Amino acid sequence: MTKAELLDYIKENFSGELEVIENEHPEPYFIVKAQDLVEFSRFIHDDERLLMTFLMNLSAVDTTEQFEIVYNVCSYRFKHRIYFKIIFDYIKPEFDSVIDVWRAADWYEREIWELFGINVKGHPNLKRFLLPDDWDDGYPMRKGWQGKNVIPMPERK
Amino acid sequence: MGVIKKLPVYAEKVPGGGIITTQLNKVFTLTQAKSLWYLLFGTACCAIELMATGASRYDFDRLGMIFRASPRQSDLIIVAGTVTYKMAPVVKRLYDQMAEPRYVLAMGGCACGGGPFYYDSYSVLRGIDKVIPVDVYVPGCPPRPEALLHGCLEVGKKIRTQKMDDWS
Repeated sequence: MTKAELLDYIKENFSGELEVIENEHPEPYFIVKAQDLVEFSRFIHDDERLLMTFLMNLSAVDTTEQFEIVYNVCSYRFKHRIYFKIIFDYIKPEFDSVIDVWRAADWYEREIWELFGINVKGHPNLKRFLLPDDWDDGYPMRKGWQGKNVIPMPERK
Repeated sequence: MGVIKKLPVYAEKVPGGGIITTQLNKVFTLTQAKSLWYLLFGTACCAIELMATGASRYDFDRLGMIFRASPRQSDLIIVAGTVTYKMAPVVKRLYDQMAEPRYVLAMGGCACGGGPFYYDSYSVLRGIDKVIPVDVYVPGCPPRPEALLHGCLEVGKKIRTQKMDDWS
């Protein structure tokens, strides 16, 4: 399917609310409501004309006002892919795990939990694996984080 | 060949027989310096350069340097690449598992002192000399194979100046 067909198909067949980000890229880009995340993931994974069975990437963005979790998924069968993201605020940072849809989300979500301090609801195994086991210095990937051992870059003269 | 060429320096031939006299220290340190087996321990991009040095174009083997996959069989550990805080206990443990006498070569800027990760990094150890004692530093990002070869020859030089009493 082309980009326009893919956009129309997903918008027509998904029951929840979707916002489309217009861009130059050859793939569609959606904003999904945070409460619809698992439902939307299940839909694009199982729908017989989409079959987005491969989670390519999952990462978090800290904009200092809100968190965004960005998902890149593609289909081996149909050779198409989409991007979508969910947005939630800083005050209570948590989102639902999609580990039941894509098993590959396991380590990505652990990484987000560990480095951003975002709680992942429903993840079965939230343990440290990138930072040292005795780490107690906050969440290094958050904007504005200042660690104990970090030597800041000197000002350019 | 190196041993045969330098034989007059290290040994003295007794006239009239197939006997040479030399010092035990010289024999030991020379043979040790001429067969440094190194622990293959690459943690980042410097390991690619280490592999190139071990391959046929630069040919580590002609110096008697053969990689071992076990710390218990190696004399030298070449720390090739970035060592993070999480990796630091592993480096320490590998070093502790090596039999003495043992030597450490820090390869590349990261292993020498943090390199490009010195500033603004939450995870990188700023030099492996914070964890294990280093004999020879080879700077560069990454160092060329010639530089690494030179560093290994410097390790050999250091070994040959040692006394057997220094082994501890």
